[in-house]
Amino acid sequence: MSSDNPQLRRAVTPWGSFSWGYSDVGADIFIGLGLVLAYAAGASNFAFLFAGLVYVCIGLAYTELAAAYPVAGGGQYFVLRGLGDFFGFVAGWAILLDFTIDITLFAWSSVDYLSQLLPPLLASIHPWTHFTFVLGLIGLLCALNVIGVRESTAFQGTVAAVDVLSETLILCFGFLFAFQPQILIHTMHTAWPSTFALMQGTSLAIISFVGLESISQAAQETQRPASVIPRTSVVLIITILIYAVGYSNLALGMQLWHPLHDVHGHAMAFWQLFPGNGDNQGKGIALLSAQVPYYGAIAQYYVPILGAILLLISANSGVFGSSRIAYSMSTSKLLPSVFQRIHARFRTPAVSIFTFCGLAAAVLIFAALPQLDHGARAAYDRFFHGEDGVTFLGDLYAFGAATSYSFVFIALIALRLADPMTPRKFKIPFNIPMRFRGERVEFPIVAVIGFIGIFSILIFTLITHDIGRIAGPAWVIVGIALYFLYRRGKRLPLFRSQAHDWRSAQTHILRNAGELELMDEYHANLKASDERRRAAQP
Amino acid sequence: MLHVSLAGALVAVFIAGAMASTLWWMLHPPSSFVQRLAAEAEHQLERLVGSVIVVFSADIESGHMMALAAKLAHGERSDLHAVYVIDVPFTLPPDATMPDEERAALDSLGAAEAIAMHSGVNIRTDIIKTRNTSQAVLDLAKREKANLIVLGSYRDGKYTGAPLSSEIEEIAANAKCDVLIGVEGKHGTLLVDESQAGPAASQEKA
Repeated sequence: MSSDNPQLRRAVTPWGSFSWGYSDVGADIFIGLGLVLAYAAGASNFAFLFAGLVYVCIGLAYTELAAAYPVAGGGQYFVLRGLGDFFGFVAGWAILLDFTIDITLFAWSSVDYLSQLLPPLLASIHPWTHFTFVLGLIGLLCALNVIGVRESTAFQGTVAAVDVLSETLILCFGFLFAFQPQILIHTMHTAWPSTFALMQGTSLAIISFVGLESISQAAQETQRPASVIPRTSVVLIITILIYAVGYSNLALGMQLWHPLHDVHGHAMAFWQLFPGNGDNQGKGIALLSAQVPYYGAIAQYYVPILGAILLLISANSGVFGSSRIAYSMSTSKLLPSVFQRIHARFRTPAVSIFTFCGLAAAVLIFAALPQLDHGARAAYDRFFHGEDGVTFLGDLYAFGAATSYSFVFIALIALRLADPMTPRKFKIPFNIPMRFRGERVEFPIVAVIGFIGIFSILIFTLITHDIGRIAGPAWVIVGIALYFLYRRGKRLPLFRSQAHDWRSAQTHILRNAGELELMDEYHANLKASDERRRAAQP
Repeated sequence: MLHVSLAGALVAVFIAGAMASTLWWMLHPPSSFVQRLAAEAEHQLERLVGSVIVVFSADIESGHMMALAAKLAHGERSDLHAVYVIDVPFTLPPDATMPDEERAALDSLGAAEAIAMHSGVNIRTDIIKTRNTSQAVLDLAKREKANLIVLGSYRDGKYTGAPLSSEIEEIAANAKCDVLIGVEGKHGTLLVDESQAGPAASQEKA
């Protein structure tokens, strides 16, 4: 299996693959819980369940595609392969938005979690300190990635293991000692939100499920990806679904260990900590863990630190994820070759890292402006109904995810029809067998359901979020304009695709992934298909 | 006042069970064909190096093979047994004192102990006096239920032109266990980095 070009080493084990995804998706609930409780209130569990079911479809789609096409490009590559260059660019550009927002949002929330133990970091009381810390974290991540320092896989795996154990223990203790079904029913009955607020909450709930992309990103480095990725993805889907649905139900139905009171001395339910309180929205799990009987006595001290570390790792995954996607898009001639440029000394894609960290810093300024300046606050109140920083970041995160996932579902359908020869070690269940261009194919019903689900979340985002409805589409439009300029300059087709030899590419992919049995199966499928075509010709 | 609800307890048990079972399932994927091949080879290796005898004698230089055996034994946690076989000629009684040979045996076995210690492996050492080297080694292997006999080839200057000495051929042909023979390369560079041999090696070749 020698090659003239150096290959990525396949060193990522099943746990490594899981922890790659978990560092990204596992951190989402740390932000998502507070945000969703703030908007969906008594229907938060419903919002999480709806987004969770859509996420199951997304997860299944990613699992099938990542196992069939184990390359580093992830969703952008699947769309490029299924729908061509133009849509591949749009999907990749939306994922780049997600990774850029990921850097800011998770660095922001990391500081929020630290503020639980260090009150001087509270955004509402010390906005400049909070802003400076978040900006400092983005700068630090940028510098570390340019120099080429990354947290080790072992560190990432250890943090993931500790967090899985911790979150499971919090849920188990919480349900065992604090959950009362009658409180849940009462809260859902009395605090059910308006339809508009429910749509807002549901669109924010999807951010708790963003990050499966990371497993696909690591596919090229994973040992036996076609076998391992379906397992790690399915377990990640189940884990995150259990956490999201579990935490939201616990938050609505828990008897508080330390009763809460508002300024008038009235008793408060747990979910009432979040509406209109940006500080609390960014650290939902830390607040909840402190309310869990017995275990909360320990958890209230370590969960803020664990959350801050996990969120920082997730922010870091935004930095290297964006540079990887930009590199991949650049090699596919969807972005200028400058994004392939490697720093002479550090051997890292410094241009990409600086570009997306710079964009993340710009987004941070826009998000933090209302709390830094009263004039800006007034303008935001007037034009954007007073959306605060973390909600704004959540909007854009949800927009980017919903856009890219919508394309991934379409790509899955397209690839099922156009490329039935590629062996799929994992196939989404519930398919309609049919014939397409002389080949037997299976049409995935789940992809259609998932597309309807994620597209409705995209519509919710556009309807309910004043900033998201402007900034999200603006990002896509600016990207398309830049894409056209670049392609015209290179005399490449604007809407059509360049010529690709997907057969050779697929053989190369499977061989490099070490999936030799699948490569043999692929060749056998191709041979049989060619023979069928020859036999069909007069 | 806190009290445990049945629904809460059931959910807690479900969560704990679901997390444990799914994680276990994820960490135990089925083996591929090449992984099964690798596992079979590793299993054979385990069988091969369960108990290892390294043979030294006046004619058999096994220092480098001892180093290899120590590395193998370290990986597989095997027992090492280094024996120096002194061939007593028929012109002497079987228990004759042979100070030079015994001194050489102590040097070889001392070096073997140092190698084993360096690799963190347990080792036993013995000196055997015999009329027939190959038979003594075969008897020892049978008595010790050895899995592997490791031995080198001729010492420098004793090479007679035969591929292997008759003792080594006899051991290889009649042993009931596996035999690993380290034959030095054409220029005696086995396990030696040629680039570090320097001008002396070049002159020697010339």
